[in-house]
Amino acid sequence: MSEEVIKVEKLAKNFGSFEAVRDVSFTVNKGDVFGFLGPNGAGKSTTIRCLLSLIRLNAGTIQMFGKSYATHRYEILSKIGSIIEKPDFYNYLSAQKNLEIFARISGATVSTKEIHEMLEFVGLGGRGKDKTKGFSHGMKQRLGIAQTLLHKPELIILDEPTTGLDPQGIIEIRNLILRLKNEQNKTILLSSHQLSEIELIANRMVIITKGKSLVEGNVQELLNAQELTVRLELSDVNKAIPLIQQHFANVEITRINEVEISLSIEKKQVSHLNKMLGENNILVYALEPKRKLEDFFMKIVQS
Amino acid sequence: MLLKNIYNEFIKILAKPRSYIGIGALTLLICIILFAMKADGSSFISFVTSSFEQTLSFNGTILNGNLIAFIILQMLIVHIPLLVALVTGDLISGEAAMGTVRMLATKPISRTKIVISKFIAGAVYTFILTLWLIFLSLFVSKFIFGSGDLIVLNSEGLVILKEQDILWRYGLSFIVAFLSLLTVSSVSICFSAFAENSIGPIVSTMAVIILFTIIGSMDVSVFQNIKPFLFTTHMASWRSFFEDPVPYSKIFNSIIILVVHNVLLVSIAIIKFNKKDITS
Amino acid sequence: MKKLLFLSLFFIQVTSYSQEANQLLERVVAKITSVKDYSVDAAIKTDIPFIKILPVKAKIYFKQKDKFKIVSKGIVILPKQGFTDVNTFLRKTNSYMAVDGGSKMIGELKTSLITVIPTSENSEFVLAKLWIDPKNAVIISSQITTRSSGTVNVDYFYTSELAFGLPSELIFEIDIKKFKMPKSVAADINNDKPKDKSKKKTADKKGIITIKLSNYVINKGINDAIFEKK
Repeated sequence: MSEEVIKVEKLAKNFGSFEAVRDVSFTVNKGDVFGFLGPNGAGKSTTIRCLLSLIRLNAGTIQMFGKSYATHRYEILSKIGSIIEKPDFYNYLSAQKNLEIFARISGATVSTKEIHEMLEFVGLGGRGKDKTKGFSHGMKQRLGIAQTLLHKPELIILDEPTTGLDPQGIIEIRNLILRLKNEQNKTILLSSHQLSEIELIANRMVIITKGKSLVEGNVQELLNAQELTVRLELSDVNKAIPLIQQHFANVEITRINEVEISLSIEKKQVSHLNKMLGENNILVYALEPKRKLEDFFMKIVQS
Repeated sequence: MLLKNIYNEFIKILAKPRSYIGIGALTLLICIILFAMKADGSSFISFVTSSFEQTLSFNGTILNGNLIAFIILQMLIVHIPLLVALVTGDLISGEAAMGTVRMLATKPISRTKIVISKFIAGAVYTFILTLWLIFLSLFVSKFIFGSGDLIVLNSEGLVILKEQDILWRYGLSFIVAFLSLLTVSSVSICFSAFAENSIGPIVSTMAVIILFTIIGSMDVSVFQNIKPFLFTTHMASWRSFFEDPVPYSKIFNSIIILVVHNVLLVSIAIIKFNKKDITS
Repeated sequence: MKKLLFLSLFFIQVTSYSQEANQLLERVVAKITSVKDYSVDAAIKTDIPFIKILPVKAKIYFKQKDKFKIVSKGIVILPKQGFTDVNTFLRKTNSYMAVDGGSKMIGELKTSLITVIPTSENSEFVLAKLWIDPKNAVIISSQITTRSSGTVNVDYFYTSELAFGLPSELIFEIDIKKFKMPKSVAADINNDKPKDKSKKKTADKKGIITIKLSNYVINKGINDAIFEKK
């Protein structure tokens, strides 16, 4: 059984009369890339701030590395690197100076050489002497990641790290996370609205809404248990529809346009569908499974 | 970790432009006073000695560096506390406004140590400001105006102190003056723990100083009981070193009050910062 | 007839008394005038309500007719009506009238009182009462009233320079009624001391300045440059 890095049980947090978090529970194991999902206002940021002891709990417990903040605050925080929302820096200081300041109190000894190497790693090589005041959002995000990794933490908490990044930036962050997981066996908790990214890189996830956790588990297992929505672009839609209805019982088919349809079927049936259409001389120009996680997410949240 | 964060705080204070506003303003203020005194200091002296000059004549170098330094120190009462609060009022709330407080609070350092390190860094800045004040007011004044006996006017009358009897008085008075400014620093840091922007603590600190000073100067029976406990009442206790004889017990009492204020205010800041939910 | 005789005798008496006063004063002035210049070491002790100052040492320079300079390391407080001012006034024999005021014992010395009345309406001096040692022709005590400084009483003591009429000690008694404390920049606005009602009583007090003079250097010549303001 994997070692539990984060264990949250029945977490609750109020801000006055507003219940930001009511009942959130989940577990993150060592080596996980853990997706932390929920719509806006679900309580994700509040939960993450509780995980990092920025906010006091009203109820529930949090165990980090099997220990509590009350007795092991220093030990816990020295093993965590985090970005909460957008990373902010001292805009009157250079990038290097900012990293030095945070590294100095991170609980690890970080040399100037390591700082330069980290700046190179995140694509800010040669910008160390520049004041962060002039940095773009993407550059600050990179610097934030550098700050997160500098002291070689065991657990990395990223709260929407790709917000405001261009597509290239998003890909770079994704690749970085995968490298951290695969090469360094880091445990990563990732909160994001980019469901496609989560689907690609997370192995476990929890979905919360209105301050309550709804679903937790292995991503693929959760998704495989659901039906797949497939979009097809065909040569003869009129012929295809009755054929599909004949071969696959209780299938709901939606005609998108003259050449496209979409339908929900089990994953294992997709190959049969493709074969059947081919055998009936219907050309399949495109067969695109729709964002599975997106559907699953919407289904869970709306229910 | 405390020492490391103190060092961090020094770096931040040294890098902020506002830190130099205080030093620059102090320099400018003192230069203006020195220039004014050089140009027409004798008129100023006449104002002080005029009520005696019908019957007495004052001979000797009245307008000298020691007197100029004393006049400059008088400015401690209102002006320099603002320059201190300008930097120290920003120490905690400035981080909240900038968003860096959450970066700071997720590091393996206790919030108590964060506040203490900021207080210490603020104290060192205040000390540097005081040292600069000493250098400009005493040494530069002496360089320009020379040395001599010091003539001090207080509500009891005139006290004329011998030149050789002055330096130690200035030494001790600067220590007490530093303690007074440190108290201002503590007030602003305390306010800073409650605020999310820089302006609030700075303005609040000055408002408190002005309000308490007004209360302290009003000869009203309603305020007599609280006056001894207001820190502004004791901020001018450095002047007591220029009385003859020096009222050591009164000065010691002032020191105790100021130290208690510092401890209390920093404690409040620590408690508040520890309990605060960091949502910025 | 008797009345006429009485008046005549009275007139003669007064005239003779005035002549005696003028003659005594002339002897005093002659002594004063014999001093062309001098320098002397002074130790000045000030005992005045509202003023705290330690004893000060200074060097005093004088040169006729009215050049006066005090040189000291520190601040020195002297009576506005300095001891040379009286001498300077007395030297102008045409500017005043001397009237005999009888005699008075000061200690064991029988002194002659001479009242000096300025003849000019614009004179700074209003009245001067001088108790003079008739034998040595030196002033033992004086009460000088001036327009600007009020009344100052001075006691003179002589030792080695009696021949020149230069005192070894002077004690000034000054009226301090006019002293007021200005609320200036240097004022203590945080003063928490209760108002002292006895201050009204101190207004009736006098201030004392004691000047001890020693090591006179007389008539050796003093450079005018010493008297220039620096």
